[in-house]
Amino acid sequence: MIAVELTKMLRSRRSWVTIAVIDALPILVAVLLAVTDIGPRPGTGPAFLSAVLTKGELYPLAAVAIVLPLFLPAAVAITAGDAVAGEAQQGTLRYVLVRPVGRTRLLVAKLVSVTAFVLVTLLVVAVTGLVLGVLLLGDSNSATPTTTFSGTDLTTTQLAQRTGLALAYALLSMLGVAAVALFLSTVVRTPLAAAMGTLALLIGSTLLLTLDAAHALRPYLVTRYWLSFVDLFRDPILWHDVVLGVLLQAGYVVLFLAAAWANFMTKDITD
Amino acid sequence: MRPIHRWAVVAGVFVLLALAPMAGRAIPAHDRSLSAGQLLSLVRDGYTAPYSGTVEASGRLGLPFNDRFTDLADLLGGQTRLRVWWRGPDDWRVDRLLDTGEVDLFHHQDVTTQWDYERDEASVGPDPEIRLPRDSDLLPPRLAALLLAGADGSDGSSGSQDESQVSRLGARRIAGRDGLGLRLRVDDPRSSIDHVDLWADASTGTVLAIDVYGAGSVPVLTSAFTSFDSARPTFDVTRFRAPAGVRQHFEPLLDFADAANQYAPLTPPETLAGLARSNRKGRGVGAYGTGPTRLVAIPLQQRDAAVLTDQLYNSGATMRHGQSLLRAGPLGIMLTAIHSPFEFQWLLTGTVTDDTLRRAAAGLARGSSYR
Repeated sequence: MIAVELTKMLRSRRSWVTIAVIDALPILVAVLLAVTDIGPRPGTGPAFLSAVLTKGELYPLAAVAIVLPLFLPAAVAITAGDAVAGEAQQGTLRYVLVRPVGRTRLLVAKLVSVTAFVLVTLLVVAVTGLVLGVLLLGDSNSATPTTTFSGTDLTTTQLAQRTGLALAYALLSMLGVAAVALFLSTVVRTPLAAAMGTLALLIGSTLLLTLDAAHALRPYLVTRYWLSFVDLFRDPILWHDVVLGVLLQAGYVVLFLAAAWANFMTKDITD
Repeated sequence: MRPIHRWAVVAGVFVLLALAPMAGRAIPAHDRSLSAGQLLSLVRDGYTAPYSGTVEASGRLGLPFNDRFTDLADLLGGQTRLRVWWRGPDDWRVDRLLDTGEVDLFHHQDVTTQWDYERDEASVGPDPEIRLPRDSDLLPPRLAALLLAGADGSDGSSGSQDESQVSRLGARRIAGRDGLGLRLRVDDPRSSIDHVDLWADASTGTVLAIDVYGAGSVPVLTSAFTSFDSARPTFDVTRFRAPAGVRQHFEPLLDFADAANQYAPLTPPETLAGLARSNRKGRGVGAYGTGPTRLVAIPLQQRDAAVLTDQLYNSGATMRHGQSLLRAGPLGIMLTAIHSPFEFQWLLTGTVTDDTLRRAAAGLARGSSYR
């Protein structure tokens, strides 16, 4: 079942168009930076972007920071929202369930498929970022090593390891979104409604984070720790928010997968 | 499994996950039977204790400044995340954590190095006698040391009107530690601070959290550890090594207050509004008062004062007899009229009342002199 869903996702033209659209923004930003040589002022813009004009190898991280707040979660919401509701809307859900496949297994397969989609997207963004960073950005005359935020040098191996950890963290951060969208996908009849419901949650979370009066809710907000992957580039690494971010996403996945399972197991499938 | 059982599982998971963040805070704090005076002594003993951790500070002072005052406005009017390694007063490191990098202070003896990742620059300078507030001043132990200076630990038995009084508050769990509560009630009628609440680590006396109150019921400045370790940090972590390709430049002057203190041609009097001067005589800037009742007088050249006047005016400052007066919570900011033949204006600011500021301005007009 998982193999079937993975194959379907990888063969889908829509998946690759979505990935291309997500990848287009970091490409555009890289070209603009290379042409104008104007970086963002300190304290503004996505993380790492002010450093990429001299350290092009940091552009994969800047590219992830560009797509993580909006583009990537929107794509995840659409993809995961389509998982069950899309089948129902097309009238294929009944036929999928005719096969000797448990509904729980189908849900797990759908989540694995969405996870694979996020992984592929992040890899495409990171590899594109690395190629553009090396070719277009960075100071080719500078032989100085890349540094952490704290000013300590990073070897190429350390930079690769921390970039890998940052990508893994970004992947985990999207799993909470995927679980919410998957749950809504089992509740509503159209993928659009599931995606819009998920995006409403994300926008609400982002808004509440800026509100002092909502301080008590902050530990529960799904977007709270998304950008904490930058803490992997401090010296010593600041694990506090990274660990909390992983736990928060795990909590969202467990809760909304359980809700999706409880709803989907008893749902009358008529489409 | 029936549907109701499935949803019961979901409800159970929801309750467990919702309660998880509260679990740490639900552990009751153990109080110690210390009097307020004993706790104040414990806190003062803790000033030199080592520690490390992360701190979140939040200010509601809403200073309307930009240009050279932007950092100050951000520090006292926004959220600040800090990370600290404190080996002692002469050896520490404080990082301001940003989503886009960090700004670090490395302090050794009388020298502080500032590293700014996004600007890719490191500056080294001596610690001046007078300077504007900076990140390290927001640490709960540093803020407490500033506000508790001169506090009376005799629980009110001395009866002096000038002395602030302390009393005990209930214990709180902060960053996984037991915090013993202490309230500093400010009795000085010149002060615009109403009271200060703080919680100190039961074993080391290091202040874990502090809330500063003006006239309202909401603290105007809060600072608290979100993680805390009382072990002494290693020397390695507080030492700054300049990255390859980055040259450390020497900054003899830290900010405009430091510059005015060293080079302004005039000096303020020894007392202002009844507050005694606390810094060296004969310097350009005068710092007055102690604890929660503090005032500073900084001479500004007219071109600098003109920029500040505009900002105060646009923020709704009261303009009277050439003086601008703005209140941001308990912080009063006054720019005096131009006094010939100096061609300087005085910036008066501090945690004092408007009336105290006006008395201080009158004192400056009478008592300022050439250096």
